[in-house]
Amino acid sequence: MIEGHQGSYDRIKSKTSLKEILEVACSFESSARDFYRDLAPKVSKNIRWLAEELAAEEQCHYDLLRGLADHPDSVEQVAVEVQTPANNTRFSDAIHLPDLGPRPDDQAVLQYAMGREHIAMEHYQSLADGTAPGPIRDLFVYLANEETKHKAELEKLYYETVHSGGV
Amino acid sequence: MRDIDHQDRGGLLGPLKNLSFFARQPITEPLGPRPASANYRGFHLNDWDLCIGCSTCQKVCDNAAITMVKVPGLAEDPAKGIRNLRPAIDYGRCCWCALCVDLCPTGSIALSREYVHTCLDSELDSYFILPDARGIHGTPYPKGWAKSTDADLVALERQPMTEQAAAVRIENFAEIVAGYDANQALIEASRCVQCGMCHDACPTHMHAPEYIRAIWKGDLEGAVREIYRTNPFAHTCGRVCTHRCETACSVGHRGAPIAIRWLKRYAMDAVDHARVKQIAAEGRADFISGKRVAIVGAGPAGLTAAFDLVRQGHDVTVLEAQAQGGGMVRYGIPDYRMPADRLDRDLDIITSLGVKIRYNTRVGVDLTMERLQAEYDAVVLGVGLWMGRSTRVPGADQAGVKRAVDLLRAVAAGEPIEVPQSAVIIGGGNVAMDITRTLARLQQQRYGEVRITLTALEDLDHFLADADEIREAREEGVQILDARGPQEILMREGQVAGLRTWGVRSIFDPAGRFAPSYDPADEQIHPGDLVVEAIGQAADVNLLGEALTEALQWHRGRLQVDSQGRTNLEWLWAAGDMVRGPDVVSAVADGHRVADSIHAYLSVQEHAP
Repeated sequence: MIEGHQGSYDRIKSKTSLKEILEVACSFESSARDFYRDLAPKVSKNIRWLAEELAAEEQCHYDLLRGLADHPDSVEQVAVEVQTPANNTRFSDAIHLPDLGPRPDDQAVLQYAMGREHIAMEHYQSLADGTAPGPIRDLFVYLANEETKHKAELEKLYYETVHSGGV
Repeated sequence: MRDIDHQDRGGLLGPLKNLSFFARQPITEPLGPRPASANYRGFHLNDWDLCIGCSTCQKVCDNAAITMVKVPGLAEDPAKGIRNLRPAIDYGRCCWCALCVDLCPTGSIALSREYVHTCLDSELDSYFILPDARGIHGTPYPKGWAKSTDADLVALERQPMTEQAAAVRIENFAEIVAGYDANQALIEASRCVQCGMCHDACPTHMHAPEYIRAIWKGDLEGAVREIYRTNPFAHTCGRVCTHRCETACSVGHRGAPIAIRWLKRYAMDAVDHARVKQIAAEGRADFISGKRVAIVGAGPAGLTAAFDLVRQGHDVTVLEAQAQGGGMVRYGIPDYRMPADRLDRDLDIITSLGVKIRYNTRVGVDLTMERLQAEYDAVVLGVGLWMGRSTRVPGADQAGVKRAVDLLRAVAAGEPIEVPQSAVIIGGGNVAMDITRTLARLQQQRYGEVRITLTALEDLDHFLADADEIREAREEGVQILDARGPQEILMREGQVAGLRTWGVRSIFDPAGRFAPSYDPADEQIHPGDLVVEAIGQAADVNLLGEALTEALQWHRGRLQVDSQGRTNLEWLWAAGDMVRGPDVVSAVADGHRVADSIHAYLSVQEHAP
């Protein structure tokens, strides 16, 4: 999901079938993947791995959602996943989206990525909260969970990258 | 007493004496052995869970009855002082003196009360055994001679180091520790069991057992000679080394490890500087290779490489951006831990061998890497982690928020800094402690009191800073708050007024990865005119330029080098903090590695047709 874009929120909110919602969610992930792919050649080579890794990660998310969208038994899988919601640890450094600018450093890229995941998580959660119980609500909860898990992974990478080198 | 008459052959009727035995009843001794006394020195027992394979038993055995045997499958970890060796006993040599028991650092060896072993000729190998806790025959026998307080030959207590009291040291920047005197050094050196675990654990494999033995023998020049076999930053490492040797010290398993770092410090201080220079120059090549090497950065890695290469006959020029050499040791470690005059001695010795250092020369600004490539046969990158990381929480870009490395550099360079009346430090590592305690001294001098709060994400059990640093900082009046996550820099009328933090619920995820989670309900405000961030550091690789950055291979943000420190470019090596992380003695080890690699490369060049 694109960060801070109310249009994205409205776009997915207008969908009423699981498949439609998953299709839109897939498009968000592919959009994020393309963003990082485009970013990779623009950043210095020593931090390019980060953009490449993020693009690969988004591709994994896309593949996951694509698989759900393409298979009719996906609803059952979603129901299983929402039994164990991911824990949002409220990472503080992440929620302020930096302006990436023309030559972002590794910290800015990571903060940006975490911000994207954070906002996506909040949007999906908001959609879930505004939806009556049922398969669609479960799907939004599932998507919020997925984004939360992605954010948690990014937080770990952030700490390993930024909170290092000091003795 | 009357002397024995050796010429006496006895009387003629002597043999008839045997007739007196005819009337006696035969006696049959039981086949089982009689119980031995409580302290009997029977066959060896060795508790493999306690044994660390240090080989002290082997070294102390005068009969060479002990052989250390490598046991596949046992743990081996030099950093923790564990070898996968266990002692095997040759009972054809053993005299049951039990010195192996008395000198065993861990107390794993004992002698049992079992003492009978017979065998056929074909089984003579059974007198050579690898004892475990079950003894020679696997039958339970109680311990006989075992480690006791009375018979323990391992001295468990370390010689105390005299230090300035907190109330005194907070007033000055003089070195906190006084160092050992000759008597203390002798006693401390005598505690060493010469097992060599320290040698294995040290990144540069210093010959610590050898220099400790030399100190014990009173041969201080010999000790310096041993030190210089592997470490040209001898004064430095005698003071601020991370002393992994002491972590691995076998004596540390039951007592205090040998004060290896302080013994090095003692030897280096005790020998006249001019004489140290002569010793360091021993073995230097008496020819000039004609090869030129440029080294970027006059820190421990770069200057160790320079030291080795000059000794091998090469022409070495070091390019240093700062006004003085030593890198992060000079500009990152305060005088009370690492006096500059001692670092100067290390540098003086290195430059006395012919290493040229061009100060105030910033590669990437004053000259390019491409020029170095063109003018030199090999180039080494040895830059430190000069870029302090920021939390980038709201307000972190304000003028009243500084990075620890920048402040430490300014203080070391003698530049004036604005001393805050109160300050908040973010970070729990040694750099955080260094800036905290530096500011504390400056506050004491300026305002007569210390008002500093240090906050860190980690709880105290997981602080990266040394325990001594934490204790001493507290003694000096610093408030240390652990498990606090920074949220925002607070401002009042355009000036920094403090830091807002949340409590940290946990810092690691189930897989052990650093992943703090916060409790927003646990919010605190820490007032301060200055906030200093000491959360992490990175190398500034902008000096490489875009083209070289693209040409080089990287691994997750760090320059990729092979085991010898060579990059993917034939002419370029990298060493020290920028590739290995911050640690002086690891940087020294790195310096040796790249020097060896460059020397081999230049030698091949020389012999090429």
